Amino acid sequence: MRVTIVMAALAVLATAAFAQDSPSADNGKVVFDKWCTPCHGAVAPPEMPFGGDGLPGTSALGVKYRGELPAVLEERTDLAPEFIETVVRGGLFGMPITRKTEVSESELEDVIAYLTRNNN
Amino acid sequence: MALPPNVSEEVFASALSEFAQAVGDEWVFSSDEDVALYRDSYSIYWDEPEERVASAAVAPANVEEVQQIVRVANRYGIPIYPISTGRNLTYGGAAPTLSGSVVVDLKRMNRVLEVDEDRHFALVEPGVSYFDLYNYIQERGLNVMLDVPDPGWGSPIGNSLDHGVGYTMSPYRDHFGSHCGMEFVTAEGEVVRTGNGAMPGSESWQDYRYGVGPMIDGLLAQSNFGIVTKMGFWLMPMPETFLTGTVTVPRYGDFDALVKEVSYLEDSFLTGMPSFGSPAARGGIGRQAPTQLAELMQDGWPSVERLEDFVSAQGRPAWSVELRFYGPEEVVRASWEAAKRRFGDRVAGASFEDGDFWRLPLPADELATNPRKAVLGVPALEIFATMARNPQTNEAPLEGHADLFAFLPRKAEAVHDAARMMSETYSEFGTPPAHHPFSTPINFYSRAFIVAAIVPTWRDAAKNAQSRALYSRLIDRCAENGWIVYRTNPAFQDQLVSKLSFNNNALLRFEEKLKDGIDPKGIISPGRYGIWPASMRSGRA
Ligand SMILES: Cc1cc2nc3c(=O)[nH]c(=O)nc-3n(C[C@H](O)[C@H](O)[C@H](O)COP(=O)(O)OP(=O)(O)OC[C@H]3O[C@@H](n4cnc5c(N)ncnc54)[C@H](O)[C@@H]3O)c2cc1C
Ligand code: HEC
Repeated sequence: MRVTIVMAALAVLATAAFAQDSPSADNGKVVFDKWCTPCHGAVAPPEMPFGGDGLPGTSALGVKYRGELPAVLEERTDLAPEFIETVVRGGLFGMPITRKTEVSESELEDVIAYLTRNNN
Repeated sequence: MALPPNVSEEVFASALSEFAQAVGDEWVFSSDEDVALYRDSYSIYWDEPEERVASAAVAPANVEEVQQIVRVANRYGIPIYPISTGRNLTYGGAAPTLSGSVVVDLKRMNRVLEVDEDRHFALVEPGVSYFDLYNYIQERGLNVMLDVPDPGWGSPIGNSLDHGVGYTMSPYRDHFGSHCGMEFVTAEGEVVRTGNGAMPGSESWQDYRYGVGPMIDGLLAQSNFGIVTKMGFWLMPMPETFLTGTVTVPRYGDFDALVKEVSYLEDSFLTGMPSFGSPAARGGIGRQAPTQLAELMQDGWPSVERLEDFVSAQGRPAWSVELRFYGPEEVVRASWEAAKRRFGDRVAGASFEDGDFWRLPLPADELATNPRKAVLGVPALEIFATMARNPQTNEAPLEGHADLFAFLPRKAEAVHDAARMMSETYSEFGTPPAHHPFSTPINFYSRAFIVAAIVPTWRDAAKNAQSRALYSRLIDRCAENGWIVYRTNPAFQDQLVSKLSFNNNALLRFEEKLKDGIDPKGIISPGRYGIWPASMRSGRA
């Protein structure tokens, strides 16, 4: 009985420590949904009244890779962490710079963990 | 590392450490890498010496911290540049007007203080984005509709302080015009509340905005007289339904009658934002004139007779306008019927097509695939698709743009004149014209027409030099024609303001006197919209 409690306590401590130290793909998904999905989502309006088509990130990547890589960022398995960081902090074409008061350093690590979770 | 002008490295280091005492080390950004995050992603001077760049950024969490920052800046003579959400893309991004300023990034002040669904207002802090406010309303099921600009990551405060605009009914589309009550911190660190907020215990800060005496709120927009820390906004009660209908008129010359009738309906609050188009020319706003139009324009601006012939040859109506109605079903249907009757009485051959009819609010799953979020007051970022890589721009999607909106009287003739001026100016610079005889106006502000130029920006100095020359010439040409450009990025603010020169620049001179009195050291946003502190006011009498 006592052993179980101690073990449970240790497990809680371990998770707490883990949560602080290593990136969480789960939280990465939450941050991604807030900051990236509006452009990189999978569910897009069919066409925009001003021209252009659907979601900017998803449709642009569809054109860029012509189906050789998934247009939806979350389905990619080839994204390098440094590349994601460079794009988010430096911008790329219409995608502008994201500041640390918007997506903090640790949140970006979480996003990276999420986007690279299925990497080969 | 960039330094503020005329500030030594030692003094700057002391100031930064005092900023850190105010907000905590974590919230002072001074490494090159961190400061670079405050660059304007769409800068028309990217990587050139004239690019506006910060020296550092500091991110307070509350009003007291803002006061402390201002006091430190005042003591050391450090220029500071407040931003709310810092997404002012095309108009400067998060970068300051004066290079070397310290950006005061208010993103962390992100509390929705109140949304009242019976009196229909919101009171927010600067870091609250349209997305945040929308989510707050959704989570609580409150019965109000926002009016949003296209990009949802901007903020009611930042957007309205640059006179930003949206898409629903006219009183709400003008975001500064729909604000009620603000709180700001002066250059000396004092907190001021405007309107009824000036009375302690006032119960109507967000209900009546004049208070007693002059309404000074206007001084805080497109200017540099303080740091706004709270603002109230009037909201539209959630309409029961949304209905659209499109009117088309057959001839080129019918545009005049169309415009007059649309103005009648708008000014009677009988329609939301009208959206003009040209079926004959297939569309209105575009980066490039459709091919047949280019041919039509080969020998210069075509005569009205040629344009009428062109319309007949296309076999489509010359002009269209979509009207958008918000309200109970009985009312929106009746408004559409009345509009049809009035157009029918005034324009021979007018025809009508019913559009969308939706009960509001739409459920979330239907909204996700709905391409008309902005007219429903739903924040999104879908507008960026218009500039993103697409099959035509595959090799060279835009890297940014600098928008120029010419404000015109609501007259058919003015629209054609502005389109012609823009088309000719583009040609002069060897840029394929985006404007043509069928260019249509945008009605963000219900009382004025906008003809827009979307000038591309790049991370390439040679291409940017071309864009700058074009943009600057457009400002001149607009002024020559008596058309104001309502907003611009720091690269052109001095030029734009110089056009408001009535009576030897009396307006700017008045603003400068205020600046000298309110912010004698000129620490807040020096140079924003041409208002420079005395020490930097060179070249002007
Ligand atoms: C594709 C695209 C579409 C766009 N569509 C629209 C549109 O439909 N409507 C529209 O209005 N704009 C539009 N814009 C322009 C711009 O992106 C938005 O207006 C955006 O909301 C402005 O950014 P922001 O809200 O983050 O304001 P901020 O960047 O926070 O603020 C803008 C400026 O106001 C001043 N300021 C901000 N906060 C304060 C404060 N608290 N105290 C004192 N001064 C302050 C600063 O000088 C600041 O630079 C568009 C841009 C792009 C790229
Ligand atoms: C305003 C819309 C927008 C937002 C928001 C946005 N992006 Fe993008 N993103 C784009 C566009 C457009 C492209 C394609 C650029 C191009 O044409 O090469 C892109 C490209 C990328 C790429 C490069 C992919 C490749 O293989 O070339 C990455 C990585 C990326 N985005 C990550 C993110 C992440 C992570 C977020 C959220 C923190 C995000 N983006 C938010 C619009 C956006």
